[in-house]
Amino acid sequence: MSSEPRARRTSASVIASSPKPSETHPTEVPAAAPATKPVEKRPFLLDFFPLETPDQTRLHRFYERLREGRLSTTRCPRDGELHWPPRTACPTCRTEELEWVDLPEHGHVYAFSAVLVGAPLGMEAEVPFAVGLVDLDGVPLRLFGRIEGRPWTELRVGEPVRTEAYDIGDGRMFYRFRTTD
Amino acid sequence: MSGRPVAIVGGVTTKFGVRSATWSELVQEVGAALFRAVPELRADEVDSLFVGAAEPERFAFQSHVAPLAAEQLGLKPYRILQRNELACASGQSAIRSAYAAIASGLSDVAVVVGVEKMNLPSMAEANSAMGCVMDRPWDGPAGATAPPFFAMVAQRHMLEFGTTAEQLAAVSEKNHRFANTNPTAQFHEKTFSRDKLLRLPIIAPPLRLGDCSSMTDGAAAVVLTSDEHARQFTDSPAWIRGSGQFSGFHNLAHAGSLTEWTGLTRAAREALGRAGIGIGDLDLAEVHDCFSISEIVEYEALGLCPPGEGGRFAADGRGDIGGDLVVNPRGGLLGCGHPLGATGVAQAVEVFQQFSSTVPAARQVPDPEWALVHNLSGSANVHSVMVYQRGRAA
Repeated sequence: MSSEPRARRTSASVIASSPKPSETHPTEVPAAAPATKPVEKRPFLLDFFPLETPDQTRLHRFYERLREGRLSTTRCPRDGELHWPPRTACPTCRTEELEWVDLPEHGHVYAFSAVLVGAPLGMEAEVPFAVGLVDLDGVPLRLFGRIEGRPWTELRVGEPVRTEAYDIGDGRMFYRFRTTD
Repeated sequence: MSGRPVAIVGGVTTKFGVRSATWSELVQEVGAALFRAVPELRADEVDSLFVGAAEPERFAFQSHVAPLAAEQLGLKPYRILQRNELACASGQSAIRSAYAAIASGLSDVAVVVGVEKMNLPSMAEANSAMGCVMDRPWDGPAGATAPPFFAMVAQRHMLEFGTTAEQLAAVSEKNHRFANTNPTAQFHEKTFSRDKLLRLPIIAPPLRLGDCSSMTDGAAAVVLTSDEHARQFTDSPAWIRGSGQFSGFHNLAHAGSLTEWTGLTRAAREALGRAGIGIGDLDLAEVHDCFSISEIVEYEALGLCPPGEGGRFAADGRGDIGGDLVVNPRGGLLGCGHPLGATGVAQAVEVFQQFSSTVPAARQVPDPEWALVHNLSGSANVHSVMVYQRGRAA
């Protein structure tokens, strides 16, 4: 598995580019992983998941690429800085001409915990669930996310995990981690 | 310091807890108490009002809260009216703005009110409000709220330094014991031994219920003025001698080391440097113990002990009465509860009352001169520090 961010298909402009499905991309899955359970439609102000469509966000390609099974982010072509979360302007040189790169599929848990009580609205039925910070292999990025797979009682720091794109159940996509065994 | 000297010359805290009262009613309550506690205060000389309120839009479905608060208080500010939002540090943010306004000469007498109404019929809605403090579209969908984040801090601290659950419980036991002396504290009447704390249910592993501050309703208020007017109000003003803040990141991807809070070190260095003192000069500190592990990391980041030794510092009682300095004599966020906007103001009230020797003897720091107040906000990504010096009778 590649340990470098893949930048085979980059775009000069975050805004103008359109998604182009790949047939060979290593992180691609045949279809988006099924949602854990259908997410009921909630008013925007009670919904943690973002609005993902081009009429709402300049970063819609992030979600379009997630639907292709690719977790990606932006990189500044001038200074090489890899961002998280993806951006529309580089925080260092401020250029708005950023390129998309895929992130490594594998990583290791830096720290984790679990939500046993006190979940936000809409997540109560998912309790208990594990969350953690994951160092992605080969890139200087540590992402926070849900950890699926083995229960939190069986996780450990250093645990290998892989990234996973999933359909949240109402047509939107998000990402999470999954234990590798 | 540049500008005019500024002091807190009076203050008051409502009962903290699960209150049968609305946001506006809490403001009325703290206003009535403030005018009783500071009889020299005249409403028509309050030229400015600063309202520390973290999430009234979420918790009380209310925006434009500064004029609403002014009306509840019976004030008609004519110089500066504003609401300050900095999540868990909103109260201190409001004090800092009032301080700047008075130091600059724009304001002469300012009232700061901190308030939060957090207990809702649906606590899932309240938990969602807490989740909005994070980078909501990225970290929020995973279920990021404060407990799992600070649990990861505890996990790393245990892993890197061997910190134990017993050491976490030592922090919580101390602060709950102080809260037993504070009638305004949410847990004033509940006692927590270390053994009892270690048997409470796990909230976010490795943190147990007693390691976490609670969802709390409450308000606090202080009066600030310049050296020209301070003696009209009190013989023991709490002079603001230093201020510092540092914002290091927001998205959790940029948290870096979870156990080394360099932002606090920088904010404290700025505040102490402006005051012209060192950490060893402090007699008491009100620090942001939103979780027991927070106070342990704060000991280290403030330089009260070397990195990694905060757990031992707690277990050895060095932040207790009779220790190196007294940390969180008010009862902390663990013992008092944590109404987001009110906490920073209530800490300042404690400093004023410690300086004027009006707290119960069980938590009175002997003859204090210097105090530090710290708030973190969010995922400890922002640190805010103020340093106070006790004024002596003229």
